[in-house]
Amino acid sequence: MRYDSITEAIGNTPLVRIDPAVHGLRHIDLYAKLEMLNPFGSVKDRPAWHMARPHLEAATDGDGTVVELSSGNTAKALALLAGIHGVRFKSVTNRMRVPEIKELLLLIGAEIEELPGRSECLDPSDTDDPLTHFHRALSDPGSTYLHTDQYFNPRNIDAHAEGTGPEIVKDLDGRAPDWFIACVGTAGSSTGVARVLREHDPRVRVLGLVAHKSDFIPGIRTIDEVHQVGLFDPATYDTIESVTSDEAVDGMITLIRRCGLLSGPTGGAAYQGAVRQLRYADDELDGTGERRTAVFIVCDRAESYLSYVRQRRPELLGRTARGRSATAVTDSEARAEARVIGVEEARRWSAAGDPRPLVVDLRSPHAYAALHIEGSVNIVDEMFEDLLRGGLPFSKRTPVLLACPVGERSMRHAAALSRMGHPDVRSLAGGIVAWRDAGAPLVRE
Amino acid sequence: MDAPLYLRPRVEPPLAALLSDRKFLHSLVDALGSPLNVLLPEAVAENVARFRAVYRRHRLTGRVYFAHKANRSSALLRRLAAEDPAVVGVDVASVAELRHALGCGFTGDRIMATGPKDSAFLWLAARVGATVNLDSPGELERLSGLVRAHGLGQVAVLVRLSGFDHASGHGAAGTRLLSRRSRFGTPLRDTEALLAALERHTETVEFRGAAYHLDTTGVEEKARALEQCVLFMDACRARGLSPRALDIGGGFGVAYVGEAEEWERWTTALTEAVLGVRPPLTWRGHGYGLRNEGGTVRGAAALYPAYRPTAGPGYLDELLTQPAPVLGRPPSTLLLEHLHDLYIEPGRSLVDQCGLTLARVLDVRPVDTESGHHLVHLAMNAGDMSLEEHGVLVDPVLLPRGEAAAGDGQPVGVHLTGNLCLEGDLITRRTVFLPRLPRAGDVLAFVNTAGYAMDFHAHHAQRQPVARTVAVDRRGASWNWCPDEDYWPITPVGGTAG
Repeated sequence: MRYDSITEAIGNTPLVRIDPAVHGLRHIDLYAKLEMLNPFGSVKDRPAWHMARPHLEAATDGDGTVVELSSGNTAKALALLAGIHGVRFKSVTNRMRVPEIKELLLLIGAEIEELPGRSECLDPSDTDDPLTHFHRALSDPGSTYLHTDQYFNPRNIDAHAEGTGPEIVKDLDGRAPDWFIACVGTAGSSTGVARVLREHDPRVRVLGLVAHKSDFIPGIRTIDEVHQVGLFDPATYDTIESVTSDEAVDGMITLIRRCGLLSGPTGGAAYQGAVRQLRYADDELDGTGERRTAVFIVCDRAESYLSYVRQRRPELLGRTARGRSATAVTDSEARAEARVIGVEEARRWSAAGDPRPLVVDLRSPHAYAALHIEGSVNIVDEMFEDLLRGGLPFSKRTPVLLACPVGERSMRHAAALSRMGHPDVRSLAGGIVAWRDAGAPLVRE
Repeated sequence: MDAPLYLRPRVEPPLAALLSDRKFLHSLVDALGSPLNVLLPEAVAENVARFRAVYRRHRLTGRVYFAHKANRSSALLRRLAAEDPAVVGVDVASVAELRHALGCGFTGDRIMATGPKDSAFLWLAARVGATVNLDSPGELERLSGLVRAHGLGQVAVLVRLSGFDHASGHGAAGTRLLSRRSRFGTPLRDTEALLAALERHTETVEFRGAAYHLDTTGVEEKARALEQCVLFMDACRARGLSPRALDIGGGFGVAYVGEAEEWERWTTALTEAVLGVRPPLTWRGHGYGLRNEGGTVRGAAALYPAYRPTAGPGYLDELLTQPAPVLGRPPSTLLLEHLHDLYIEPGRSLVDQCGLTLARVLDVRPVDTESGHHLVHLAMNAGDMSLEEHGVLVDPVLLPRGEAAAGDGQPVGVHLTGNLCLEGDLITRRTVFLPRLPRAGDVLAFVNTAGYAMDFHAHHAQRQPVARTVAVDRRGASWNWCPDEDYWPITPVGGTAG
């Protein structure tokens, strides 16, 4: 396929049937609408382009900034679209909670503004939330902001009513599915798709999924947060259910490992929530001989959520056992095996030893630059650990004095070096803090 | 009626034990009147130990300074003065607080003078050898002038910094983390004049280090500020100054509500009430800052996050463990490696679970004929128990006067009204649910009021009495009390020195 612009590749995503052996529903065909296959990687490509297009085509002088409240896929799509059109993009957000996405946005060239946290010493008469200031900045005379306003902009819904919805109907041979399941973020996809499906068949049931209140699933709002969404209308949904991040990761893993769908947690939540709800309906269909269809949306891809998974299920990213390292020495082993010397002895040794020891300061370069023992070299502890993994980094003929802030890490490293066969490595008891407190000299760069 | 929406308080021992002694608490109110503040000086020492445990875990040295403004009590201050002088100090924000701290047994070297300062405050702080937490270069000039004019010794100073969101650390390009603007401190980008002044005044002031206090629950903002201060102190060292302490202020928070579910259910219900899909949860449908615009909720709830999974020492631990944005190392490592002492100034969190406020029920009557809700008129006003003023929502505990049988009565929604002749004098605008309808003569105990809710807003309007304050202590199975001003940490409460 040949295109003049990547924006032409937005939409027309596949509808893929999930193997019944995976979901276990006997009378329902479950389909995944693979919005993750949009060119920028998510369902948000559609509304982003649909909302931004009029702004971008008008901003021919390259002099504007597209601005949106988003910490995820909408920001990503808008940033790329802004880049194509030579304008800037600014994302305003409460917190970037997924570090990979933040880095990706920076790579794309987005500017990120993170709003302050809640006041600790509250003044109840000040009910100005940070968003009020955001809107004030937008309406400043002379403002060159192009605000796409995804939570209130009807073009967000239209993008799905004109694209996603009709595509589903077409791929189901002109029929609407019996169930449509969507996670509710801006409510754009669920509202737009539901509108089209109901026009085809008013009996379509729409299940909206929200996150548990104290939980966090990217792209999904909690039950309270949906009420702050201008596009959200409770009447769109036959049922609103909540899902947990645990379920989202479970669903994600099923889609990835058993279906070949590299879904992120939002898609996982939709899958898991869909199967959970459909199971009741499936039981009721027993013996009726009827078949039903259901469609859910796979919103985006897995790659950006590794840290999200690591936080919640580290075992899924099981790290291979690492080689020899100071952390492999326990505290009690370190105390038993490391040779530890006090500040006075260390001063004598480093001044008059024969040969004089190499003094290694394990603190960060900043701390080292600010104050250190004269003549010491700086190898920050993580790097030192990596060095040990490769073998002994010093000659056995060179005695070594290790120093860290309080003498704990240096003691572990000293024990590790001794195990590796170094005959004379010592740890500074009490570390640089004890050295300073004893009035021993420290110099700075 | 709807299921009762409780926000039951988090109550830990020994406060729980005190609350279970209804007779004792009633006898106190009978003798000393309503409202009445009750403090547990021993609990504040236990909180100190919890903060110290976090220091130990991170191998950090430095002092915990109690932010005196959280409570005027002498008992609390005297109990803290009895702690190890090397690790416990007090943060005073006025000349009267400074005098009080001295009178309670704090020596000058354990006192930190913060906030806006007049000349008397500066002079007395300098005279007694307190550390002065400087708000601005102007204050440094005034202090230095006083020291010279009156022949005072060199004064230890910290410099309070602000404006960290303009800091452009490398690695932070493209990202801007906003913080609320503060009226205190010297903006980080304007510190050149401050440093020059510190160098000029080395004879009069000894520069100890930097300080900040951010009004936010956001741990990322604080980690950034902490790191910026460490970098600032590096820059100071490069100029030949030798700072060695970083004061990160307070704001570690308190968990007021015991159960997450109750808090979540209530806040969800508030949103629904603002949308009009359920009856109001408040007097006259107050929305606590939320408003309904065409079916969409706008605004932010001006509420303290009353349920907090991590607060106080746990929050400090989290902050110290959070990776800092520029250097990537956690704040505890930064402090250790740069050889800095850590100073903290907890107020609310240091007096967590240290006290309660009691009020007698004067009168109970139905609000209307339909709702089943009642007005409960208390012998106190909103100034006497000002949790609401701080956006904290939490239920009082009902202490019936008589021997109420278990299961006596049904849960009921009440509006707690104060003793001022003023429509707005409500102890809380929230409809409070109690396990049964109170009667005149019962007492309501507002739990965990020692931080900012006891005397911060108390006043003499309408010549209503302000609360007396007593210190209590448990001896065996019984409780003893004495007036707050008579408490000394050497004698058993209510007894004489042996």
